[in-house]
Amino acid sequence: MPRHFFIAILTFYLMSTAAVVQASLKLPATVKVESAALTAEPMCDPKISLAWREAQEIDGVKIDASPGCSPDNPVWIAAAVKGTNNISMDTLMKTGLSPDAIIKTDDIDGDGDPDRIIIKLEIMELNGRSPDFPGIVPTFDIAPGVQPGAWVFAPKTSGMSTENFESVRANPLLRLPSPVIRVEQGDIVQIVLENTHYFPHSIHLHGVDHPFSHGEHGGQDGVPQTSEVELMPGGRRVYQFQARQPGTMFYHCHVQTHTHLAMGLAGMIVIEENKPNNWVQTLNIGGGHVRHRSVAVREQFDQEYDLHYHAMDKELSEIIQKYNDPRLIARDMNQRYDITDATEDYYTLNGLSFPYTLRESLIVVDPDQKIKLRMLNSGGELIAVHTHGHHATITHYDGVEHNPAAQIMRDVFDMAPAQRLDLKLETIDDGKHSYGPGDWLIHDHREKGITTNGMAEGGSMSSIVYKSYLGESGMPKVSHFGIDLSQYFTKEYFERRVPIWQNLDDFASLGSPGGDDGLSAANQATLLNALIGLLIGLLVYGVFAKREYIKQTFMAMVSRSKDAKGGTNNG
Amino acid sequence: MVKQTTALMVASIFAMSVPALAQQPAKPNEHVHDHGADTAPSKSANGQPKSDEHDHHDHSGHTMSQDKGTAVDHEGMHADDHSQHDMDHDHATDHSAHSAQSTEHGDGHHHHHMDNDHIMDHEGTMIMGQNLDKLPSSCKSISESVEITVKAGRKYARNFPGTAFAFDQQQWNVKPCSKVTFHFVNEDNIRHQFMMHGLPKYLYKYGMFHLEVTGPKTVSGTIIVPGSDDTFLVHCDISHHMEKGMKAQLVVGKGAESIPSIPGLTPYNRNDTYEAENLPKASDKAAQSAMVRQITAFTNNSNMQNYAMIGLGALLGLFVIPLFRKILLRKKSTE
Ligand SMILES: [Cu+2]
Ligand SMILES: [Cu+2]
Repeated sequence: MPRHFFIAILTFYLMSTAAVVQASLKLPATVKVESAALTAEPMCDPKISLAWREAQEIDGVKIDASPGCSPDNPVWIAAAVKGTNNISMDTLMKTGLSPDAIIKTDDIDGDGDPDRIIIKLEIMELNGRSPDFPGIVPTFDIAPGVQPGAWVFAPKTSGMSTENFESVRANPLLRLPSPVIRVEQGDIVQIVLENTHYFPHSIHLHGVDHPFSHGEHGGQDGVPQTSEVELMPGGRRVYQFQARQPGTMFYHCHVQTHTHLAMGLAGMIVIEENKPNNWVQTLNIGGGHVRHRSVAVREQFDQEYDLHYHAMDKELSEIIQKYNDPRLIARDMNQRYDITDATEDYYTLNGLSFPYTLRESLIVVDPDQKIKLRMLNSGGELIAVHTHGHHATITHYDGVEHNPAAQIMRDVFDMAPAQRLDLKLETIDDGKHSYGPGDWLIHDHREKGITTNGMAEGGSMSSIVYKSYLGESGMPKVSHFGIDLSQYFTKEYFERRVPIWQNLDDFASLGSPGGDDGLSAANQATLLNALIGLLIGLLVYGVFAKREYIKQTFMAMVSRSKDAKGGTNNG
Repeated sequence: MVKQTTALMVASIFAMSVPALAQQPAKPNEHVHDHGADTAPSKSANGQPKSDEHDHHDHSGHTMSQDKGTAVDHEGMHADDHSQHDMDHDHATDHSAHSAQSTEHGDGHHHHHMDNDHIMDHEGTMIMGQNLDKLPSSCKSISESVEITVKAGRKYARNFPGTAFAFDQQQWNVKPCSKVTFHFVNEDNIRHQFMMHGLPKYLYKYGMFHLEVTGPKTVSGTIIVPGSDDTFLVHCDISHHMEKGMKAQLVVGKGAESIPSIPGLTPYNRNDTYEAENLPKASDKAAQSAMVRQITAFTNNSNMQNYAMIGLGALLGLFVIPLFRKILLRKKSTE
């Protein structure tokens, strides 16, 4: 066997052993993600005018101030209070609503407010597949870059589904959640469903006093197995009721409910007490702060918030992004999707996940206020909402008042699917109602509830913020604690590409380690093993090839030793 | 291994090309021919002078105001300040639909009116970007006046499996510089739009002409098309109506490049993949012989069936194969 070959292998072996020793002396350096590499979004949506936050009056409708980042468009509130039929042309044009979206007429009981209410709802798809380009349309982000496919009941709009022809972003009226509906006890209400979607749907008025069947409009419990056939695409159906009881209720599609509800066809509906001159805000688009409260709520509370908790399954919502053909979507949703094997991935509050909840669903308070919180859980599992720094009183379960003497205070509010709770939150600094001013978290205490597809911080968490902790921008003031919320306003964060602790110290001790320059220890071991194998192989081959020579040498050696032995014996 | 991947690739290419082929219109020539035939009679029917143009109201779509009166109360609408609404009747909205209620309205022809580019009534019926008289710079005069009736609705999706909404036709042909009045007949009970894009922006705001109406009802509007060959996208922009079939094109003269994913006319840019499903068939049942049915009657468990098959095989082996051998041996011996 050539000697130089052996030497080469031996040298390589020694060198690679040295490399292992070298690598363990110094681990890879930390690679920091520069902020310039991130798609940073402004914390507040710059498209939303600062003027929207102010207290104002439009067409005679008084609108409370709302100091958060993204308050409701005041013209929407004006239209919702007066009806699209009673506002000025100018205001109507600014809403983007169809002129017949909310029709309010006839003061039947003569108490100064309209009692005949017609609300027209369409069904819109968000983040669905396009056959034209490899993207989705119209887009709606629940968090930066997070765009689950969804369906919503939307107020009847006018014009395009996107912001404009160049944009794929959804018209602001087309959004999660389905809008909060508010009517007065005793109103003759018609909810007119115009099915603009490509699937059959319906409306079930959960908790709302409605007749099972209406003389003119037929069965109207929304259930295709009991009261009516599915409303097909292109069709219209009227759901009429005159609710005798007030309360926080729920409406949702009851066609293939196990998928349609989770897709977003679910909203809060509130029946307000009948009071004189009670012009209620018929739609609270996007939920959250109610900037034009009913008479009864104004009498008893300083503020009111609608908090709609929802959950969506990624695998379900992706079906409408996978196919364009409605038959394939129907097949996957109806026959292939198995909800018993499913898990929820997106947790939203008023249609959005953290950090966007900070834009829209902050509960902004002053000390010594009484605040009404109406909560709905339209997710598929029980949730447990915790109010940091506060105990609140449960006043109503599922729209029905709890015996005032027996009402209890809690700081965790468990809500079964479809359940509603009305809370009285009092910001009295007594160590029980409130521990004093702050930026207090309000979140689902199942820990997955504060994640977005498993990535924290996300989910449905928001804050109860005292005005002394609210910044000029409308975001909670946290910078004086050294907190920077900006990383949450990047899509890379929710793509799991940002080492979330890299900025906690100046040398990024918990940042991302770079890769090995040369061979990793594991690779080196593999290589060594291969080398040893090669060596053994060569040896065996060598032995085989030179077996005659070896045999001869061996024989010679043996005979020589025999000879020697013999020699000595003989000699 | 290499062979396998090549085979896979070939198979997938083939699989992809099948839906692509399926997207092609079955009889493209027939389509084009149809459109020509449809537009021709409306052309001849329209020889009126320009002043008559204002009286073209479609009288076909009355149904809505009467039978849906419960859902549409117009009372409050007119408590509004009327003075701000220009009572311009140049537009050809379907006024007749309101006649049944004109007494309670006090003004049956009342329309909201933003500006000349944007006309809307109390039900959201809309005409945007109408052009009755402004000549495109590429035209010396109007070549001809045409009326085109466009029907829209779910029922037209019947012709195109895998769509949900459609127009009755997917292409309309007009001459350059022609003045075209579209009568947009929405036959559904929801909103639809006839929205055209890419028109010259000096004449049409955002380059758009847009009719919108909640059916069943008709709205009409007029444009003057440019003097050069071109093809314009027509669609309904309600979420996923275009994606699910409500898409067409207006071809001026010889036209330009066709627009993709028009049902039956042009292929989709992105195709879904289809696989045949194992659906139950009536013929499956009929094919089962009486014998099989007898066996499955007392062995309706698949394990039992498997064992039965093994037993059958064993019997075959035990008796039939020796028999074969005997026959063969006999043959050999006779030879
Ligand atoms: Cu549904
Ligand atoms: Cu449409």
